[in-house]
Amino acid sequence: MKRIQQLLFIAAITIGFTTNAQTADEIVENYFENTGGEEAWQNIEAMRLTGKAGMGPQEFPFVQTVTDEGKMAIVVDLQGQQFVPQAFDGEMMWTTNFQSMEAEAADKETSDNFKQEAQDMIDTFLNYKEKGYSLELMGEETVEGTEAFKIKVLKKPVMVDGKEVENFSTFYFDKENFVPIMSEQTVKMGPQKGMQTQTIFSDYQEAGDIYYPYSITQKFNGQVGQTIKIEKIEINPDIDEAMFKMPVKE
Amino acid sequence: MGIFYINQNHFLMKKLLSLLFLFGMVALSLNAQEVDLKGKELFGDMQARQIGPALMSGRIIDLENHPTDPRIIYAGTAGGGVWKSSNGGASYSPVFDDYIQSIGTVAIDPNDPDNTVYVGTGEIWTRNSVSVGDGLYKTTDGGESWTKLGFDASERISSIEIHPTNKNIVYVGALGPLWSAGEERGVFKSADGGKTFSKVLYIDDTTGVADLIMDPNDPNTLYASMWEHRRTAWNFNSGGKNSALYKTTDGGKNWKKIHNGFPQGDLGRIAVAIAPSSPNIVYAVIEAKDDKGLYRSTDGGESWTKTNGDFGLVVRPFYFSRIVVSPTNPDLIVKAGLQGSISRDGGKTFKNLGNMHSDIHDIVFDVKNSDIMHVGTDGGIYRSYDGGTTMDIVDNLPLSQFYHISVDDAEPYRIYGGLQDNGSWYGPSSSPGGIEARDWVRIGVGDGFRVLKHPTKEILYSEMQGADNVWRYDMERNYTKNVKPLPVKGYDKLRFNWNAPMAVSTHQPDRFYIGSQYLHKSEDMGNTWTIISPDLTTNDKDKQPKDSGGLSVDNSGAETHTTIFTIAESPLDQNVIWVGTDDGNVQITKDGGKNWTNVVSNIPSLPKNSWVYHIEASVHGKGTAYAVFDGHARGDMKPYVYKTTDFGQTWMSIVSPDVKHFARNIQEDYENENLLFLGTEYGLYITIDGGKNWSHFTNNFPPTAVHFIDLQKQTNDLVCGTHGRGVIIVDDISVLRELTPQVVEKNVHFFDIKPGVMVEESGFGGGSTELQFVGPNPGTSVDIKYYLKKRHTFGKMNLEIQDMEGNKIVSLSPGKSKGINTVTWNYQAEAPKMAKGKTFAFGGFTSPRVPAGQYKAVLTKGKETYETTFEIKNDPTSVITPQERITQYETTMKLYNMQEELAYMVYQVDEMIEFAENLMKDDKGATKVANKAVEALTDLKKTLVVTTGDNYVGTAPPELREKLSALYADIAQSYEAPSSAQLDNLALLEERFNNAKKDLEEIKSKEFAKVEKYAGKKGTDMMKLDSKEDYLGS
Repeated sequence: MKRIQQLLFIAAITIGFTTNAQTADEIVENYFENTGGEEAWQNIEAMRLTGKAGMGPQEFPFVQTVTDEGKMAIVVDLQGQQFVPQAFDGEMMWTTNFQSMEAEAADKETSDNFKQEAQDMIDTFLNYKEKGYSLELMGEETVEGTEAFKIKVLKKPVMVDGKEVENFSTFYFDKENFVPIMSEQTVKMGPQKGMQTQTIFSDYQEAGDIYYPYSITQKFNGQVGQTIKIEKIEINPDIDEAMFKMPVKE
Repeated sequence: MGIFYINQNHFLMKKLLSLLFLFGMVALSLNAQEVDLKGKELFGDMQARQIGPALMSGRIIDLENHPTDPRIIYAGTAGGGVWKSSNGGASYSPVFDDYIQSIGTVAIDPNDPDNTVYVGTGEIWTRNSVSVGDGLYKTTDGGESWTKLGFDASERISSIEIHPTNKNIVYVGALGPLWSAGEERGVFKSADGGKTFSKVLYIDDTTGVADLIMDPNDPNTLYASMWEHRRTAWNFNSGGKNSALYKTTDGGKNWKKIHNGFPQGDLGRIAVAIAPSSPNIVYAVIEAKDDKGLYRSTDGGESWTKTNGDFGLVVRPFYFSRIVVSPTNPDLIVKAGLQGSISRDGGKTFKNLGNMHSDIHDIVFDVKNSDIMHVGTDGGIYRSYDGGTTMDIVDNLPLSQFYHISVDDAEPYRIYGGLQDNGSWYGPSSSPGGIEARDWVRIGVGDGFRVLKHPTKEILYSEMQGADNVWRYDMERNYTKNVKPLPVKGYDKLRFNWNAPMAVSTHQPDRFYIGSQYLHKSEDMGNTWTIISPDLTTNDKDKQPKDSGGLSVDNSGAETHTTIFTIAESPLDQNVIWVGTDDGNVQITKDGGKNWTNVVSNIPSLPKNSWVYHIEASVHGKGTAYAVFDGHARGDMKPYVYKTTDFGQTWMSIVSPDVKHFARNIQEDYENENLLFLGTEYGLYITIDGGKNWSHFTNNFPPTAVHFIDLQKQTNDLVCGTHGRGVIIVDDISVLRELTPQVVEKNVHFFDIKPGVMVEESGFGGGSTELQFVGPNPGTSVDIKYYLKKRHTFGKMNLEIQDMEGNKIVSLSPGKSKGINTVTWNYQAEAPKMAKGKTFAFGGFTSPRVPAGQYKAVLTKGKETYETTFEIKNDPTSVITPQERITQYETTMKLYNMQEELAYMVYQVDEMIEFAENLMKDDKGATKVANKAVEALTDLKKTLVVTTGDNYVGTAPPELREKLSALYADIAQSYEAPSSAQLDNLALLEERFNNAKKDLEEIKSKEFAKVEKYAGKKGTDMMKLDSKEDYLGS
């Protein structure tokens, strides 16, 4: 009896949210509430995601380490060789040249632009106000065959080939459970410039105290590009800070 | 504390999940009563494929460039939406794909040019084939998202002007409906950034704004050219007493006509432009009976002087009425036209612009350098870097405007069609490296319409406007013959529609039909013609005026009316022929043309004389047919779609309120009579319940006008000819046949999987540059399709391919969408695990292909498992024998296993070296034994894998791993048995491999055994190696 009462109570709250969730703020609040509570999200200082990334059946194992300070390193294992296709030390992005297998710094514009994105390492919506983002509820739309709230996240402008350009992305939150199921962005630089990319989130499962999407699929104009399957998530693991720094050439 | 939180959250989440489950049950019980088989969710992740072509591109209506940043240019197109360039016009991307695709004007807010842009929809160069718009839109984020600002009934918006310092003040010039009277015309003003508008200049319900421009120095001064005009299906009228040029100097409160120096009498369309660098200089191009041409004013329109009346300035004002002045030089002007004209002396004299597609509609000068121009034509956008002399086309704008398309049964099948002002073409549905410009073959000039392939020969028929030419084209000989029917004794002068109907027969391959007002039949591919009907039209003389055009006579033939527009011979009975006419007759013969009956009066609720746009004779019954009627040429934008099953005696409407715009074409499915596809002005609609409910198909399919649809029988590909976005294909619609109420009630449903065919193709392809459009291929993978009743968001979901014994071959990433999901598998298993070296062995990234046979797809969703089986086949066109295939597969796998074994060997070597090195690090006494082992192992390793160099020009000579992987990749990628060279090489490598194995065992039993013995004596922990299975499985 007690359980049923609890259930009805929660049902009432949820239904209340479903019908009244008009503002972007409320939707984001519900998202955090339904995925472990904002406090649990705030307690995250770092995450280590282990999984496989690939295009079609070709997969390669990776480990991505991120911190709430915006540092990031991806380590990929190819033919037993470990290398870092991309890392960010908080100021500078660096990559590994596939020909020489040596570390090289990304151009300054890329690093500077990434500094803002790096704030989203744990989650785009966590502390979004402090990050200087603004949210706009654009309405409702059917994506992934599912009714969703459409929220635009406006960030600070980025520089593209020497010119300032607006920077935002659109997130779609499943109306039923308030978790993001897709985000969308226009590619701003490089040869894919102008193309729409969609990132699809699913397989939300426990990761420490939170729920996190273990399956992430990147699409280009609706065509599947890269898929990421996360196998393990460690919250606040021990981290050797050196991994974020670009190695000095011997 | 931490534990508490974990438990609490876990508890909450579980509750949330059970709650969702409960909701799911409620939803289920509600749905069980009445299942509406419609909605975007029906299609899930089914994606359309836009294949262009872009080489001839399509009609451009309006160009607009950023006031300070030359990288940013917008293009508003006739039927393909709005495109944005952010690289100075090198290439463009679509930014308006969710909205109506016919564009009248694009305007950038000078107060916020990076972000705020207005789009007025409905093209304004009012030819007979124009699409319609549905109002005004605004973006405040550079085109990412748009808000509708009303003007729903305006149909066409020609101009938008924004106050240079107050973003809230916006003027809109509405041209208004072309085909009917309408009051949403004139100049409108907003003081709140477009939220609300008030009409500030209105003449009457037939006169709209052709041009509205603002003085850049004085935003209260605007010029508005008002144009009286009307189009009907059989006539066009430009001009009248209401056409005039007006000026306001008080922000639209008062307007006065400024005609001092203008031609006398009625006026037509007037183009107007201010010289931005000297705003008192104003140019107007005036359509009039006499003295038409370019007029110049140097006093802000107070007085006018005619400067030029050349052909290029006055030709077809309804189509070319744009004059543009350089931003820096008031005497440098360009006028849109057949070729486009440029003047450098303030309009006194002109020369043509350089060679490009004819019919120039708009031009913009680079804001800083007037040598750079962007020009919009009937055939895409051109750019010039030398002041308009040399023109270079933008290669990535797939805006082609098909009137018709058809497909054949070749493999891959070919797509045929004719385009507005861009001739007729055919191209493949797939091509190595993608469908490129060079894959398309021209098979007609002028305006192209129907192109029909002879059912059995490499012969096709194509035509140009009004059947001026009807070509029989020999595809093998590249040879044409004009087989157009000509007037014969005893019959009236032939009236062919602009878009004249032709048909071929499935019963008699050499039979060929053409419709004028009569139905013409040829049994010898067009050499001889017989008229097999009386005049099937109303032959209403009122709809056959002598001249069209109004002030400027324009007898292109585009308005020829009272003609046959569609012909359909029943695929079940060659004597049953349907004919539909543009003036509203539905005629049927059941005896091959001897007797004809007009059955249109049997159709309920159909306005009289509605244009019969398409009749589709069904494969499901001799007396079954579909008819689509279109009333837009008299301002009726509703869809009319009917079906008969009794030769037209009775008809039922099969369109629902889900379809918002008028329709032109219907295609039935050949298997499921309830599955139908409707081409409308606003994109593609699909019904799976015979027309009770229709769903808008929007997955990578913009709401562009779909003029014609064909269903390819072998592939079940739905091929759509759009009038603005080229050919759009929805690959293999057969899954939609299985979507029944029972299926959509299941949590997971695997659709029948069509056998995968491993196409033996390993050629080269792809000769396009980065800036050239390349249409994507359908792919040759096997498509695993399933339906999910609900989107999978929480918990695990995986998809594995297994052999029939349940052994995993590969794990795929399944789609999680509600509705239909498609996962492709390219027949490849996982790549071998490779030995660790200093560099990559690139051959090792090759995955082996599995043999043909039966396989399983196993979907795991939470605790539930669903599976289905499917077949994969070898290429039926292959000449390779089964025995050769076995040898190929076995050799591949032999090399695969050798590489994995080598990987394990190298792993052991590395572990042993590490062990030995660690031992001597801790214990100097071990140095001698350990060193010997390390030396022996290192020497061995150097022969197994590359241990130096890089992946490029610093690469080291290949060792065993590199040699094995190169041979492996060669053989694995091939379909044939290995060559003797390859087998000899394999024998060589095998010998070396076996020696290496022997060497390793020897080191293990000699040098390394000593190390282990020493370590054992010292009580050091012994080396622990993973078993081979564990190592390879990791």
